Amino acid sequence: MNDKFFRISICLILLALLGAVPLLAQDTINIGVVMPMTGREAKPGLYQKEGIELAIKQINGAGGITIKGKKLQLKEIFYDDGSDSAKSAALTERAMSSDNVVAVIGGYSTALGEAESVMPDRYQTPWITAGAAATSIFSKGYKYTFGTLSPVVLLGSTTAEFLGSLVDQGKLKKGLKIALVVENTDHGVDYVNGINEWIGKHPGYFTVVLTEKFDLGGTDFSALLQKVKTARADIFLSDAHLQDYITMQRQYLQAGLHHQMISYGARGPESDARKALGAGTDYILAALWWSDRLPYPQVQKFVNDYKAMYNRPPDSWYAATAYDSMRILAQAIQAAGTLDKTKVRDQLAKAQLKGSLLPGMVLSYGPNGQAGYSFLVTQNKPGDKVDIVYPKDAATGPAVAPMP
Amino acid sequence: MTAVDYLSLVISALLLAGIYAAMAVGMTVIYGVMKIVNLAHAGFLMLGAYFAYEMYERFHIDPILGAVIALPAFFLFGMAVYWVLVRWLPKSDTPTLASLLLMFGFWQVLQNVAYLVWGNTAYSIFTPRSLASVHIGEISISKDKLIVFTAAVISLVLLQFIFNRSWFGRSMRSLIQNPYAAKIVGVDDQRTSMLSFGLGTAFAGFAGALLAMLYPFTPDFGPPFLLRSFVIIVLGGLESISGVALGALILALLETFSINIPLPWYWHGWNFSYLPASYQPAVSFVLLVVVLLVLPKGFAGLFEKKWRVA
Repeated sequence: MNDKFFRISICLILLALLGAVPLLAQDTINIGVVMPMTGREAKPGLYQKEGIELAIKQINGAGGITIKGKKLQLKEIFYDDGSDSAKSAALTERAMSSDNVVAVIGGYSTALGEAESVMPDRYQTPWITAGAAATSIFSKGYKYTFGTLSPVVLLGSTTAEFLGSLVDQGKLKKGLKIALVVENTDHGVDYVNGINEWIGKHPGYFTVVLTEKFDLGGTDFSALLQKVKTARADIFLSDAHLQDYITMQRQYLQAGLHHQMISYGARGPESDARKALGAGTDYILAALWWSDRLPYPQVQKFVNDYKAMYNRPPDSWYAATAYDSMRILAQAIQAAGTLDKTKVRDQLAKAQLKGSLLPGMVLSYGPNGQAGYSFLVTQNKPGDKVDIVYPKDAATGPAVAPMP
Repeated sequence: MTAVDYLSLVISALLLAGIYAAMAVGMTVIYGVMKIVNLAHAGFLMLGAYFAYEMYERFHIDPILGAVIALPAFFLFGMAVYWVLVRWLPKSDTPTLASLLLMFGFWQVLQNVAYLVWGNTAYSIFTPRSLASVHIGEISISKDKLIVFTAAVISLVLLQFIFNRSWFGRSMRSLIQNPYAAKIVGVDDQRTSMLSFGLGTAFAGFAGALLAMLYPFTPDFGPPFLLRSFVIIVLGGLESISGVALGALILALLETFSINIPLPWYWHGWNFSYLPASYQPAVSFVLLVVVLLVLPKGFAGLFEKKWRVA
């Protein structure tokens, strides 16, 4: 009996060793990707996945990444988190603990990113989010957490700064009242903080007369919009995700509301919104991490490559930040010259992706792991046109203010 | 707030009540006759929305007409679902775990089929009417919401009529009141249940098609409506059509006014402050708990003899 047990044990050990052979003699570099393909965040999640896959295709097409003299191909290990925070964290943990990944790219949106962000340091595996930018993720001293989006506080302050520039140009009057209606997440909190920070530093420009939060995935905003109406504000600023933006703007128009300027934070030019609301999205402002109107040659190349691969142009900023996240990760792995996760992490911390698609054309991460480039402000124009209206040096058209 | 603001809030609450009543009434019919808490209701709402979308996109049929066409289409679909799945459930006077699990599973199947067919894109129906409003002085009323409200009132009246005046309605009421006695006097419970399930599904599909006029939708469309439907039918008394109208009105009024009217609270003396808008969804659940504790038969239970149709 003992002999039989011994032989079975030996067989099991041999089988286990055989299973480990691919890990020892790896000919691919596994990259975990955790994105929502279903649920509330499915559309932006899909765009981010497409951006990553385009970058992987191009890197592999150019021969892959050289590790110890051997060219290795990138391999995506993908999981759909269903827009569910708990599932998102569990899948990130699975990728880091069981799939032999060198790094994970995930975390669209803030809520899902926050859930995932506890895993990287636990498993000492680099994690890059291309879709979450709340300060709360990057203020906990994590070492393996990186974010390709500039902070949401900056999004809020850039929006206020742009509106302030309209006051300076005489397009808007000084002392206008602002109604702030934001999603009930850290993203929304940061947005409000950014707006208030700028207003605090520039007294007399604007006054905030209403600050309200709403739950993600809301169905009826009529009561909230009634409160906005009662506030008698001049400018309506919201921070919302795509579906909430569509629902709220529809009900905003149906309620007969009108403000001198409207913004939904980082949402505005999405094709789904324009299809759902037609001219109802005209003149809406958005502060974005990227726009296909940026006058960089690499942006045009990216747009063409994306169109060639997916038969449609990139919708808003989602694919571009994911594309650059994958490229900077590949650069860090190449610089590390090994698949050791700590060494890859160290390289990511000091990486500079030159020729980046993002404003400033260089992507790098700050000491807290988050990027810090400037935002662009865009404005939807009639006929599905979108112009960059701020900053001045990147502007492709004038800002229409106040809204007709 | 001015008087116009208050009036605007009342109108907004009434329109919202119409939407809520439309989405909850199908669930009440099925619960009343079969004691099945139809978790697949959210799936039927979602399919109704896609039905109206396809009718509009492929055949250029106005979503209102699409919603009317959804009635017979979903009636047949509901009867088929009953015949294939629901009739095998053990009969019971109270909701059973088996029925809950079956309907939950079926909802998941519907959702995943929708993902296969329509993908994860958020669809919406945009007609020339979508952003149009009727203006009465300073008050703007969305035309689409007015239509949904009118449709909800018509469907409630129609259901009341069916319940009170038709042979089928009498069969349903007898099954609700006493299924054993009903069978003894010759009511065909299998046939009545199948027709009731068809009717409940028809109104769910109808409501889904109407909701598609107001909101963008994905295969995940439904859960927020499902939860509110629960609250409404519990408020209304679980088996009562008129109770649905009452429940929908109470919920809509509370949700609308709770964030727009300063509420009194006590902390070192009386204070007044607004309920933050992010707490609005909590209103329905607090209401659910309170009603279950204080009025387990719902508000309709208070007026049982006069109001209860079944």
